[in-house]
Amino acid sequence: MTWTDEELVARSISGDADSFNELILRWERPIFALAYRTIGREEDARDVCQETFLRAFRALPGFRGQAKFSSWLYRIALNLCRDWVRRERRAPVVQAPEDVDLMDLAAAAEPSESIEDLVARKDLARVVEKAMALLPEEQRTAIVLKEYHGLTFQEIADLIGCPLSTVKTRLYQGLTVLRRELAKNTSVPKGSART
Amino acid sequence: MTQMSCGYAGDRGETLIAYLYDDIDAAARAAFDAHLAACEVCRAELEALGGVRSTLARWNPPEPGRVLAFESQAGARGGRSRWSALREIPAWAQVAAALLVFGVSAGIANLDVRYDSNGLAIRTGWSKLATAPTVATPAVATQIGNASQSGGPQALAPASKADLAALERQFRAGFRPQSTMAVPVSPVARPAAGETEILRKVRALIDEAERRQQRELALRLAQAITDMNAQRQADLRRVDLTLNRVENNLGVEVLKNRQSMQQYLMRVNQRQ
Repeated sequence: MTWTDEELVARSISGDADSFNELILRWERPIFALAYRTIGREEDARDVCQETFLRAFRALPGFRGQAKFSSWLYRIALNLCRDWVRRERRAPVVQAPEDVDLMDLAAAAEPSESIEDLVARKDLARVVEKAMALLPEEQRTAIVLKEYHGLTFQEIADLIGCPLSTVKTRLYQGLTVLRRELAKNTSVPKGSART
Repeated sequence: MTQMSCGYAGDRGETLIAYLYDDIDAAARAAFDAHLAACEVCRAELEALGGVRSTLARWNPPEPGRVLAFESQAGARGGRSRWSALREIPAWAQVAAALLVFGVSAGIANLDVRYDSNGLAIRTGWSKLATAPTVATPAVATQIGNASQSGGPQALAPASKADLAALERQFRAGFRPQSTMAVPVSPVARPAAGETEILRKVRALIDEAERRQQRELALRLAQAITDMNAQRQADLRRVDLTLNRVENNLGVEVLKNRQSMQQYLMRVNQRQ
């Protein structure tokens, strides 16, 4: 049987840890993606994701269902991302361990993804991250929520706490900056607009 | 400027975005459709923004893995769960810790594991002590003394074995409930379901960590190769430029020398 988020929340409040695990399984990927695209660093995004669920769990008894569980969770995650951006944390890069044959490891990379694909994907990610990093936090958040999480303008406005027209303006300004920045570094496809 | 050449009445940016994301009511959409038909500037911008969206759509985050799992109310309220804490320990350290715990436990318990046709038997060192020949009753000690007086070690053997067997039976009967841990287990016995689940989770955690490390290392390697190639090309260009410069300088010097030589020869010829 598939429980709704709200039912799982109710069961979690009554002490059923499995129900909260189910909520984590449902939402960890979107929350991680939101954090990753907002922050741009994998490890920090994972930390934010963990902290989001821990805070949600602790605050669960106070959740009265005024908003959707997902919106509530997004709000917690966005607040954490905002805190992170303010702190501007920087983590060290991954170090290769000693006595490890890098060529062997490279050869053993994901079988479904070649090194070229991996590099291309990472290159694109770097270009987009660089362009996104130029945006003010409000514009970046609006783009991430709309583009990757499919929220309506009204949902974004409710989540962020600003007028509907402000959301659209932030999106327009943000996309315009991205258009200019991406054009410098990539060949933006000339395909028709997605509607 | 695009705004100056578009005569759209209303907030153009907002409408453009609403149209782009198809989050617009029907009337506004129809009105903007009509405007688009006549406005090349808006059509071009809409297409460009659609291109930006296509690029953004290809930006995928990495797999998050399992970021957290709650095992119990108490554990979760106390902070990070056991599994999330486990994630932060390197795989090699987890394996080393497990081996260390097992080794120390086995050492303390003087563990004796036997697997034969009767199934699996686990016996601790205390049951061995009960059968050890150093534990002797007065009767056995007397017999040992008699044997040593009459026939030496060879004569001692049959009597000692029989007595020790009797002694062992006696000890087993008396101490089995406390000291003997012989647990007959069917050869087809499997670990408990909980243990299997834990093993499966630990294995999954280790696999996940290894996969992530491999991906990261592969990426670093590829980046290093790319950087190295770029550096090599830059160096080659620099060497090429330097060689050209040297050749040019040499050419100029040779030319100058030749001119000097010609002038010198001309002067010599004139004197002659």
